[in-house]
Amino acid sequence: MEAPYDDRLLHQRVVGGDESALGEVYDRFSSLIFGLSLRVTRDRVIAEDITQEVFLVFWERPLAYDPDRGTLRAWLATIAHRRAVDHVRAEERRRVSALGPRLFEREPARLEDTVLAADEAARVRQALTELPDSLRQAVELAYFGGRTYRQVGEELGVPEGTAKSRIRLALKRLADALAEEEV
Amino acid sequence: MDPVERLYLDALMEDPAVPAQSLRPQLLAGARARRRPAAPTAAWAEPYAGRVAAMDALLASAVDDDWSRIIVEGWTLQELVAHLAAKDGLLASSVGAPVLGPPIGATDSMGRTSDVQAYERARSPEQTRRDWRAQADALCRHLAGLPATTPATLDGMEIPVSDHILARGLETWIHADDAAKTAQIRLPDPIPEHIRPTADLCARLLPWTMLFSGLNGAGRTLHLTLTGPGGGEWLLPLGVEESSPGEPDTHITADVVKFCFLLGGRGDPADFPAELSGDLALARDVLTTAPAFSGP
Repeated sequence: MEAPYDDRLLHQRVVGGDESALGEVYDRFSSLIFGLSLRVTRDRVIAEDITQEVFLVFWERPLAYDPDRGTLRAWLATIAHRRAVDHVRAEERRRVSALGPRLFEREPARLEDTVLAADEAARVRQALTELPDSLRQAVELAYFGGRTYRQVGEELGVPEGTAKSRIRLALKRLADALAEEEV
Repeated sequence: MDPVERLYLDALMEDPAVPAQSLRPQLLAGARARRRPAAPTAAWAEPYAGRVAAMDALLASAVDDDWSRIIVEGWTLQELVAHLAAKDGLLASSVGAPVLGPPIGATDSMGRTSDVQAYERARSPEQTRRDWRAQADALCRHLAGLPATTPATLDGMEIPVSDHILARGLETWIHADDAAKTAQIRLPDPIPEHIRPTADLCARLLPWTMLFSGLNGAGRTLHLTLTGPGGGEWLLPLGVEESSPGEPDTHITADVVKFCFLLGGRGDPADFPAELSGDLALARDVLTTAPAFSGP
């Protein structure tokens, strides 16, 4: 998926050394990046550090992002996820070595370019199945069927606005469901 | 990105998580320390300051091998950066801005390029990068206090400093693109607000590139349509003495970035992608002579 025009423009401005563009990127994506880092690390201080670092990396090495290969959001989220997972693994190793000599040397699996690990992805799928049918169908058509809001409305026999609000509501429910599992 | 990932990110956006305090001020302060922003300068010099920042971002990712690789004109990346610093220094000298590097000896761009390259060869690529950036930023800072119409001379061409700095911006852009291509990195275009004045300079140069190539366009008028972000429409008298256009004799439509690159000597005029109408011979003359001022 190619990046939308907004992403390209923000990227062009950051490449051209425009600090205010970095501020705009932060305003737009910081809560997502912080939320994602927090879900993985479960540590607010670490999640803040990761968030800061993700935006600094984008500023310092803006050419590492290629808008032809995906959205800016996905790129930032991938870096955040990778850093958060690295942190969690380093913590695990530290804890394990504090317990004494290791019997099994676990090689960290090679990190893939993803924003969520396999078990998290399974949780998203599970939460999706638990949604009421009307919401689940709308999400499935939009995300898995690649339909526009208007097409979702047509297929479900509801106005476009209704389709849109069902998807919004479904996303909120998913967010709640995913948050509950953390506790 | 897979649909589950998109769904996950969209759901997270519906559940805003907020750090205890905004990280924004810290972030911006930290950013300055990690990569210098574009130098503050006059509005008309911003396209140049932006290309300098973009080139510097590209150079930041260069490793040892990259610096010794030939980019253009038989020059390594380090020599190319020295060449940019040389020409920036000559323009700086012409408007009373600080000149860095070796004291000015030769005052033409090729002579100055040799001097600066000789000086930089004894230094590390990282020092060359810093020297070039320091020269560019010093020039930007100096221009902040000058009127756009201040006359400046580079290689015997006396034109307003605002046009010279647009030309410096175009050259920096083109060489950054040369270096990016060698490194197989995609360099995004400047923002439309920076492309527009650059394209305008290129359009205004057309009567001169024709004349320089021995063709006199006096009495003829070109309608130029440049497409894409930063593009626009120009009605240009093709005689260098004429200030107002007549009825258009010929019409050229082309991509704005490709057009700027044609003037900068990138791309063959013979297969330049453009739509031509009206006097086709005249349109071809305009395109064929367009790269006349492009040098190293």
